[in-house]
Amino acid sequence: MFKQKTTEQIKAATRPTDTAAHAFYNNPKYRALIYQILLVTGLLYFFYTIISNTLGNLEAAGIKSGFGFLSNAAGYDVLMSLIPFESTNSYMRVFIVGFLNTILVSALGIFFATILGFIFGVMYFSKNWLIKKLSVIYVETFRNIPLLLQILFWYSAVLASLPGVRDSLSLGEAVFLSIRGLVIPKLIGQGGGSTFVYIVLVLAIIGIFILRSWAKKRQDATGQQFPVFYTSIAMILGLPFVAALLTGFPFVIEYPVLKGFGFNGGITVIPELMALTLSLSIYTGAFIAEAVRAGIQAVPHGQTEAARSIGMKEKKIMSLIVVPQAMRVIVPLLNSEYQSLVKNSTLAAAIAYPDLFNVFVGTALNQTGQAIETIFMAIIVYFAVNMLISFIMNRFNGNVELVGR
Amino acid sequence: MSNTFKSDPIEFKPTAALPAPKSTVGPIAWVRENLFPSISNTLITLFIVFILISLIPGVIDWMFISANWSGTNQEACVSDGACWVFVKAWSQQFFYGSYPTDQLWRVNLSLILLFAVIILSFTLPASFRLRVSIPLFLVLPFVCIAILDGRLVGLDFVNTDLWGGFSLNVLMAAAAIIVAFPFSFLWALGRRSNMPLARSISVIFIEFFRGVPVLALFFMGSVMLPLFFAEGTQVDKLVRVWIVLIFFMSGYMAEVFRGGFQAIPSGQYEAADSVGLSYWQKTLLIILPQVIKVSMPNILATFVMLFKNTVFLLIIGIPEVLQLLLTALSNSNWLGGHAVEGYVFVGVIFWVCCFSMSLLSNKIERDLDTDKRD
Amino acid sequence: MKMIKKISLVTIGMAGAALSMTANAGTLDDVKARGALSCGVSTGLAGFSQKDEKGAWSGLDVDVCRAVAAAVLGDASKVQYKPLTAKERFTALQSGEIDVLSRNTTWTHTRDTSLGLNFAGVVYYDGTGFMVSKKLGVKSATELDGANACIQAGTSTELAISDYFREKKISYKAVTFDTSDQTRAGFESGRCDFLTSDQSQLYALRIGLADPAGAVVLPEVISKEPLGPVVRQGDDQWFNIVKWSVNAMIEGEEQGVTAANVDDKLANGKPGNKRLLGGEGELGKNLGLNPDWAFQVIKQVGNYSESFERNVGQGSPLKISRGLNALWKDGGILYSPAMR
Repeated sequence: MFKQKTTEQIKAATRPTDTAAHAFYNNPKYRALIYQILLVTGLLYFFYTIISNTLGNLEAAGIKSGFGFLSNAAGYDVLMSLIPFESTNSYMRVFIVGFLNTILVSALGIFFATILGFIFGVMYFSKNWLIKKLSVIYVETFRNIPLLLQILFWYSAVLASLPGVRDSLSLGEAVFLSIRGLVIPKLIGQGGGSTFVYIVLVLAIIGIFILRSWAKKRQDATGQQFPVFYTSIAMILGLPFVAALLTGFPFVIEYPVLKGFGFNGGITVIPELMALTLSLSIYTGAFIAEAVRAGIQAVPHGQTEAARSIGMKEKKIMSLIVVPQAMRVIVPLLNSEYQSLVKNSTLAAAIAYPDLFNVFVGTALNQTGQAIETIFMAIIVYFAVNMLISFIMNRFNGNVELVGR
Repeated sequence: MSNTFKSDPIEFKPTAALPAPKSTVGPIAWVRENLFPSISNTLITLFIVFILISLIPGVIDWMFISANWSGTNQEACVSDGACWVFVKAWSQQFFYGSYPTDQLWRVNLSLILLFAVIILSFTLPASFRLRVSIPLFLVLPFVCIAILDGRLVGLDFVNTDLWGGFSLNVLMAAAAIIVAFPFSFLWALGRRSNMPLARSISVIFIEFFRGVPVLALFFMGSVMLPLFFAEGTQVDKLVRVWIVLIFFMSGYMAEVFRGGFQAIPSGQYEAADSVGLSYWQKTLLIILPQVIKVSMPNILATFVMLFKNTVFLLIIGIPEVLQLLLTALSNSNWLGGHAVEGYVFVGVIFWVCCFSMSLLSNKIERDLDTDKRD
Repeated sequence: MKMIKKISLVTIGMAGAALSMTANAGTLDDVKARGALSCGVSTGLAGFSQKDEKGAWSGLDVDVCRAVAAAVLGDASKVQYKPLTAKERFTALQSGEIDVLSRNTTWTHTRDTSLGLNFAGVVYYDGTGFMVSKKLGVKSATELDGANACIQAGTSTELAISDYFREKKISYKAVTFDTSDQTRAGFESGRCDFLTSDQSQLYALRIGLADPAGAVVLPEVISKEPLGPVVRQGDDQWFNIVKWSVNAMIEGEEQGVTAANVDDKLANGKPGNKRLLGGEGELGKNLGLNPDWAFQVIKQVGNYSESFERNVGQGSPLKISRGLNALWKDGGILYSPAMR
């Protein structure tokens, strides 16, 4: 910016002073103004035409527009909802149910894709030829096949071959896996004791953050390291457990029981969610692995050599020297991969996972015919979610960025 | 003590040489070095080998050994393996859609033209490569449409409903990215511009088309766009989708170009300014060629993404290859679960195309790298 | 700069060529000027609209398109088929992309009154039914408490089944798929205990199963699903043409006129035959069509019975019996208003 301005200034200073150059249309300032006025007028005219056309078309076709339909009863059921839902609820509630389902699958997808991506990205640098090739094969296979095909493949070729609900694969009569999905026992808290345990859990999480910043400060000051990771795990598991013991274990475990057509009780993870999470994380994981590889390769080799020369172990070099520096390259790439994962979750429409697109832009649009309203609402949501991801990742990026001296 | 030393001077006896190191060349050494360097690695290697051994024979048997290859209808599929007869019988549909059989040369001609232009743009002498290939690229989509449509060039008219199949995926993606090219360049310039309004409009545009799921855009193309045009005006569905794809692509490509602009050293701008070039001369003659060069790998990556995304067109009923696969699967003469064969077939086609493009992109990246290396 | 200008000019020019202005003279004139009927059909539904490996369309819904083309243009093959998804079908009609929508669309009050559409009669009387696996031993839909249902998304079935089970206070899980083929696959793999859809589709889906005999269609029919062609509101002449093209097929069956004997009936038939086929009277002229409009429909497409049997009945793999779709005099409710 600064440099460009100076060249502009130089140009202005050295411009010959004949009359044509003084004409207002040759003055860059006025020119820019005129260009912009033209641009804005053109855009305004464009939008005016579109809106007036749309209104005219809607009126001619006799379509009622507006968001009034949102309070009408939906009249159809949704396979899975994180909040109570039945078919007499409004379209607005369908919208919220779909939104929460989208958030759920996106969050799961981001979580697993990141793990897969980092594992396979680091695997590329393994000394084991087989592991290295496996990483290459993984990345090149899943990156180059359309995601939609992968979703259909996982759902209708792999998960569909699981046994029926009566012949479920079971683990100790508590966890069942069948074509109906994964059923796991549910922990039901009872009375005030369980609330106490939840509070302790939250306190443990807060405690971990405090511990981390303390450990970092101490390390900066004294160079001593503190086993933050293991302490954190001990805190998050141990403290609630102690609290549960103190209150006399105020929980009941609800085991799933095969009854009638399916399992009663427990928590059911529907196969659509499994298939979508699986394919989204594998697909995005391939891109993240590529990003991780690029990031690690961007770290100068001298860093590794320097670390070796002071006698660090290979594993420590990777986790303390290479990966933190690689993060500078990886994080911006992760940002765009996460965003595209959220956008790709709309492909739930291809299988029966009830995400926002499927239940709202799909079914609600079809039942009400309100194309503009439903698509508009969905677009706003995806846009907002992506902005949020971008905001968080940029904050994170600020943390890993090289601090200039 | 000292006496003994003097009286009995030690003869210089070299210690025996260490045994030659274990061979570091040859296949056995390679295996030891690369597969079994440590205990944990050995376990991992054995585990992977075990998985591969238990999977691969079954897959090969299904795909090749007990597969059905000959025949024309479902009854020909008798053995347990894959029913490739299904793919064979529907192959014309999968590749060309319902395009009239005696006119298929037009589709082939369009594809050949596309590849010819691509190859030309890599092989022409560098002195006029960009000057020739850019206009060729920009004219190409319209030439292809004219050939496929037929009305403008005096051939039989073929309605867009009949276009389809994998050739549609290829041509659609190519036509979209080519037309998006100049637009995205303008958006990228807008985003770098000093004019605040132009900049904010460009930012909004770019972020909108990057932030919205492509499926939502396709829905806009199929159910919202018709309402945007004046009453009585109809725009062909394929054209609407094309417009949507162009916008979508220009959002992404604008970001690619922005990266390209940032990679150009500011000395280039200053040099152009100092020889008195105007803004457009500077941008088109000095900066653009360099931007295209450094952005090439990213352009290809974006194209691969677009190419894969053309499959989503099935959600709005465009007869692209996956849509035709689903149509074939629901045909009453072919009911009987050939889904896996179909998915494998389509998956392999896409994989081959996308993988070769990523190889090409890697090669270009390496070629670019050498320029900077001293 | 110049190049960009040139390119944008070319682009605008091409865009102009792609836009086709339809004068608001009426759909009939548009179709005649275009020389082809633009007909919205399903992307693939066995028996109703399906495409074979040669790219040729067939089915009961497709025959409606062909009948209208035969009546208007005298050639049943002059149809441009536009495969549409359930979601975009109404927009395609509203925007004028298609002249008639023949895509197993249920005639409902809401659709008829709030979407700017008109339903031009009923081609197939359908109802929501259930298909279950024989192994379950279920005899009635009321025994399906707690079961999972495979449903196609965005259909009126989705609403019907929800109403039905709520009324009966039966709980169920709705697994909604995007296409009917996926519902079949879901049912077959055991993802759901029963499949619910229009009865006609149940039969179509059943023959797609690896073991069709292992599945039974339950006797309950829980909703009315009259399927028929749809046109835009505000063009009464076109509305009449589509309505009477369908009626001509039904009337053809009532009078025993078939594709094989249509020439003979025109020459030597009863007065009613001659009136239908354009030998007498002004039926065609009143519609704004040629006198032989119904003759062409029956000659090229066949009467209703022929079309039914060929596409979904005994001559097809679906083997659906006529049932409700028999003529009124044979115990069904199919009835053409008087052709006079």
